[in-house]
Amino acid sequence: MSYLDVIDTLQSVADGVLFGATYSLLGIGFTLVFGVMHKINLSYAAASIGAAYASLIVLSVVKAPAIFIFLLAGLAGGIIGFMIYVVCFRFIPQANPLATLMSTVGALLLIDEIIVHATVGIPVPYPALFSDVIVNAGPFTLRGDLMFMFALGCLSMLLLLVLLYRTKLGIATRAVAQQPVAAQLCGISIPRINGLTFVITGVVGGIAGAMIGAAIGVLSPLLSLPLTTKGLIVTVIGGLGSIPGAIIAGLLVGGFENLFQYFRGVTERDLYVMLLLFGFLVFRPGGIFSPAAGRD
Amino acid sequence: MIKKSLTLVAAAGAIAGMVAASAAEAQERAVKIAGFGAKSGVVRVFGINSEAALKAALEQINNGGGVTLGDGTKGKIALEYYDDRCNAEEGISVVRRIASTEAIIAVGPTCSNVAESLFGILQKKVGDSSDSGLQFPIIADVAAKGGLAKISEWAFRNVPSEFEMYKSLFAWVKTQYPDVKTIYGGVEKDFAHSNATFGVIKTQAEASGLQLLGQGEWLLNDTTFSTQVREMKRANPDVVAISAHPFTTCGVLKEMQRQSVKPKLLIGLTSSSSIETLQGCGVQAEGIVIPTSFAPVTPEATKAAELVAKFGGSADLHSAAAYEIAFILKNVIESQKVMGKPDTVAADREKMRAGLAALKETDGLLGKVGRTADREAIKPFLFVHAKDNTWKVLHRPAS
Amino acid sequence: MDFYLGLAQIVGVHTLLGLSAYCVLLTGQVSLAQAGFFAIGAYVAAMLTVLAGWHIVPAIAAASFVAGATACAVSFPALRVKGLMLVVATLAFGEAVRLFFFNFDYQVAKGEVKIGPAGGEGFRQIRFFPENGWSTLDVLIFIWLFVALVMAGLWWMDRSRAGAVLRAVGEDEVAAQSAGINVTAVKVAAMTVGGFIAGLGGGIFAHYTAHIEHAQFGVALATFAIAYPILGGLSSVFGTLIAVVFVQGFLIEGLRFLGDWRNLLFGGLILLAMNVRPRGLIDAATIAAVKRMRTSNKEPGNARTQGAE
Repeated sequence: MSYLDVIDTLQSVADGVLFGATYSLLGIGFTLVFGVMHKINLSYAAASIGAAYASLIVLSVVKAPAIFIFLLAGLAGGIIGFMIYVVCFRFIPQANPLATLMSTVGALLLIDEIIVHATVGIPVPYPALFSDVIVNAGPFTLRGDLMFMFALGCLSMLLLLVLLYRTKLGIATRAVAQQPVAAQLCGISIPRINGLTFVITGVVGGIAGAMIGAAIGVLSPLLSLPLTTKGLIVTVIGGLGSIPGAIIAGLLVGGFENLFQYFRGVTERDLYVMLLLFGFLVFRPGGIFSPAAGRD
Repeated sequence: MIKKSLTLVAAAGAIAGMVAASAAEAQERAVKIAGFGAKSGVVRVFGINSEAALKAALEQINNGGGVTLGDGTKGKIALEYYDDRCNAEEGISVVRRIASTEAIIAVGPTCSNVAESLFGILQKKVGDSSDSGLQFPIIADVAAKGGLAKISEWAFRNVPSEFEMYKSLFAWVKTQYPDVKTIYGGVEKDFAHSNATFGVIKTQAEASGLQLLGQGEWLLNDTTFSTQVREMKRANPDVVAISAHPFTTCGVLKEMQRQSVKPKLLIGLTSSSSIETLQGCGVQAEGIVIPTSFAPVTPEATKAAELVAKFGGSADLHSAAAYEIAFILKNVIESQKVMGKPDTVAADREKMRAGLAALKETDGLLGKVGRTADREAIKPFLFVHAKDNTWKVLHRPAS
Repeated sequence: MDFYLGLAQIVGVHTLLGLSAYCVLLTGQVSLAQAGFFAIGAYVAAMLTVLAGWHIVPAIAAASFVAGATACAVSFPALRVKGLMLVVATLAFGEAVRLFFFNFDYQVAKGEVKIGPAGGEGFRQIRFFPENGWSTLDVLIFIWLFVALVMAGLWWMDRSRAGAVLRAVGEDEVAAQSAGINVTAVKVAAMTVGGFIAGLGGGIFAHYTAHIEHAQFGVALATFAIAYPILGGLSSVFGTLIAVVFVQGFLIEGLRFLGDWRNLLFGGLILLAMNVRPRGLIDAATIAAVKRMRTSNKEPGNARTQGAE
């Protein structure tokens, strides 16, 4: 390996890690719903992309700055999140995980097709922030928009942690996650907390969708299925219910992806990512930050 | 109770749907043809454009008096268009459904993977009684993967020959840019059309004397291209040829801008000469040269583009092929004396197949279209480039 | 007519796919690897008939065994995890299989043309049925022979002790274990049988679509595999069959007259179905009702069925 190869390898990994921030944001959403309800919401990535699309409707009416669009995407994500809760979870018995798994698949297909119908499947440009900023650090270059996204991802994580550990709502949410029956006996309304969880994860997802749109520059319904897979992978590697785990895992997956791509080429890249995940699950099923009592 | 009645309503709806689909009958004498392609899913735009083009062309034909049938009477051509969702199983199902109607030929599909399966279930050689494959003529308008029609003698295509296009393009590049020596490729590896076309681009580039420095590969829903573009930058090529659809083409072009890779010439995939590319990355795509078999450069082509737009589609190299097919079918119906009666359906299908196979040349929107022995088309083409957010004609090879 | 026969072929193969997931779901495991086993079956069977010139029956038998063996081998490590972990582990395995075939290039020159799987470009011209003069009806009978066989086998198993053991593991693993059931052995057996059935379905699939490529065996197909038994309900093998008819016959073909609105309804109707019937189209109550109807027709007041309610 020559000097240039080393530089290229490191640069590839750095690019991957930065882009991995989008995976982290999605992983947070998956993990939060799982933590509170012990359910999988497969429509989450599609809803996030849907929220980003929804924010564009506003842009088509008024010319708004990009940051405003991102916030709008968060708002739209919250609304869509609540709708998903109502149609996929509210009226299906809690004790039936298979039914909600399937209903979220239905929602995933529905959201995808609504997007396809509205846009004829053609990718739509998405505004970006700091997209023309390229930071040169020695032989390395770092993308400004990705770093901004990275920072925003960390910020959302912090806000979420504050929300979960410093507010009454957070205490209630964690109570429902740990002991639903006891929480109910204490007067906490479980449907309300579950609904709120979906709104919160929806907001995070909406922002993630906007970040993904901004990082790629366009939105396409092509994105939702691969992002669902990536989100699930990140959730599992990070450990179910662990927010810091999801963040680290997102960055790890992003980095490894580019590493495999650099050494083995694109056709084998995902094959190795899957094998990595498979190995991870088998040998460390509790995730990166596996808690002491690590069972599902 | 509510649950039960809901189930009943759903069941009743299913039956009603099946009846409605089969009970559409026309009153006057009409030759029935069918079209099919992806009208839902991410590649929906192809189906929408093809349907619009077919309808636009048929309106022209029918308003102009229709077609002369085998017994001398005049008839109209009626079209029914089906959605196959770009799924091979559904494509087979749709064609079986079409074959059970009175349609004498089907136009489609839009997706190469559907065409692969579909042409595979057709009878391979006409008249081979040991082969129980479906005997139904199909002419493809969009499915672009090379060499599909050779799978079955019932399969035809009016799809441009990318081999000829890129051969001519590189010959032209040699005359226009005599100082270019090296080329770097980029290919969307898991899309059959892009991948197959990249093979064509690579051989043609090398045949024209360009030196291939390497190639970057990615997948069709990839979103980050920094590794591939960095390798491209290190190779420092004179020409960069990208064989990919607009979504990733734009991703790569944006990454090239970020890493300030500026080749002397950019070459793109035929399918990317669409409005999608300009919407996704008009600025970065500036100057990219793409061969295409359609541009509104002749009076007929301009008129076709307007008519297709009227039916809610846009005319591009794919839908223009569908537009041309309608006129080809009209000629074949007349020359083969197709009867268009319910009891002559089987004979009419055989006539359509024989008529299409016998064609040596057809009229295209840009000029005469040659037909090859393996049922493919050799269409006139031209080179366009992206300039100020529109596609401008760059060069029209004389042929 | 041909169209309905063709549709029945599709229903048959998808029933096999659904039943393969049904076996695994009975033990309470959600597996997204079924598309992977289906792909293995498709490629193995197609290579045997096209490249080795085998007859289709031994070819799909061999394909089923390869798929079943793979499932068995995979299930040992995979079943160390459960719940969402297993969903993702099997998803990863299924995708790895797909990506393997994406990279799998094994072409043999036959005359002027090259045949065999060609990586990303797929494997074309798998024409055993038409080349041997099988009509659509012949193929249909052939497919349904296997479907009937598998359904009968599973139905019989469901009523035997084996079925009770499977369901016991699915309902409560700890309880099953304390009742002396070897949980791991049961799960591995269910995965193996599931893989075998998926391989069988895949082998037939390759031959009636005439062309296979990696993209067909992705996450979407894996989701459909588990969707059929969940939509249909896990109380009976017929639930899966009804769900396949609902999806392929009604949602896909029956609603075709809706044009491009059909696909919008597709997801929406799955959502609705799950809300209205969370335990599947055929659940335990339906079966009890059917039994009640039967017994009240024959011998009113059967004590056993009344006790079962």
